[in-house]
Amino acid sequence: MVLNKYTCLEKLAARRKDEVIITCMGTAKPWEKLSDTDLDFASVDSAMSHAADFALGIAIAKPERRVITLNGDGSMLMCLETFVTLAQRPCENYTMIIIENGTYEVTGNQKVPGVQLMNFEAMARGAGLEKVYSIESEAAFEDLLPKLFEEPGPMVCILKVAPGGEGVPKFEKTLAERTDRLRNALNS
Amino acid sequence: MLSSSVIHQALKDQGVSHVVGLSDNICRMLFQSLEADDEMEVIPVSREGEAFAIAAGLHVGGQKPVVLIQNTGLLESGDAFRGCSWNMKIPQVMLIGYRGFKTLDLEKKDSVAEFTEPTMKAWRIPYKIMVEDEDVSMIERAFKLAESTSMPAAVLIAETTT
Repeated sequence: MVLNKYTCLEKLAARRKDEVIITCMGTAKPWEKLSDTDLDFASVDSAMSHAADFALGIAIAKPERRVITLNGDGSMLMCLETFVTLAQRPCENYTMIIIENGTYEVTGNQKVPGVQLMNFEAMARGAGLEKVYSIESEAAFEDLLPKLFEEPGPMVCILKVAPGGEGVPKFEKTLAERTDRLRNALNS
Repeated sequence: MLSSSVIHQALKDQGVSHVVGLSDNICRMLFQSLEADDEMEVIPVSREGEAFAIAAGLHVGGQKPVVLIQNTGLLESGDAFRGCSWNMKIPQVMLIGYRGFKTLDLEKKDSVAEFTEPTMKAWRIPYKIMVEDEDVSMIERAFKLAESTSMPAAVLIAETTT
């Protein structure tokens, strides 16, 4: 059984208050349709695979504010060391959600390496992270949702979703302009 | 000679809050000195590209990090530098251990040294090369340049720190 990505994002958006949300690739445009506040940041035109690291930097800088990153499985595979960094420098205010659909969605759904072989939960736990959850049903996601926002982290939630059809995300504002917007929101 | 205490103090004078990076032989003693400083947090990474993204997040969150890596790691970090420091317009100061600097005048050169400055020029990173303690003002100047341009600047550390 797999989840619907858009339904999961809607549930996240419905619960979201003043958390920083960092999206990338296949979540950037769907999330923008749900929320486009100054605390939403699409890591697009940015560095490949480093949205979760960027989010970690914010979480370290702003320990009083929850930071949630919506990472993709392709991005996660490209930067697995993030698990290790997060384990050795744990942030209670950090939540990583990995959207695992087994494909590089925005380039045409090519399979990611190791699909159906690799296990993100095992890799995260192997790096030393403890609060790691693999979610495959809406009921399980509903149960976990409050923890993602409220429970001390770091937390990693792997959502097993069906492949989607998002194209390459494009934004009117440049990355620098979006960065300024977030910086101003965090430091005003 | 390059004293880790001199570089360390220069970073403190600039109000550096975090040091994100990966140690090497050139900066080993500098790393040790920084790790012993309770007023500055050292965040070790296992691949240098991470350092640029974490540092960008720290900047956006109002902190003042430096990136401390070796030139080999800089080469590895190309897309992270481009996507974070450059495209986000982060005034990121980076200290880069210059492995192989002394081989540049030799017949048998360290290829990473040969690649370092041409790469930095191609990536449009302004830089100075620090070889002795008297060069320490390069660090202050790098911060001023980065802040005045809202873009990255670098100091290459060409001598093993003591």
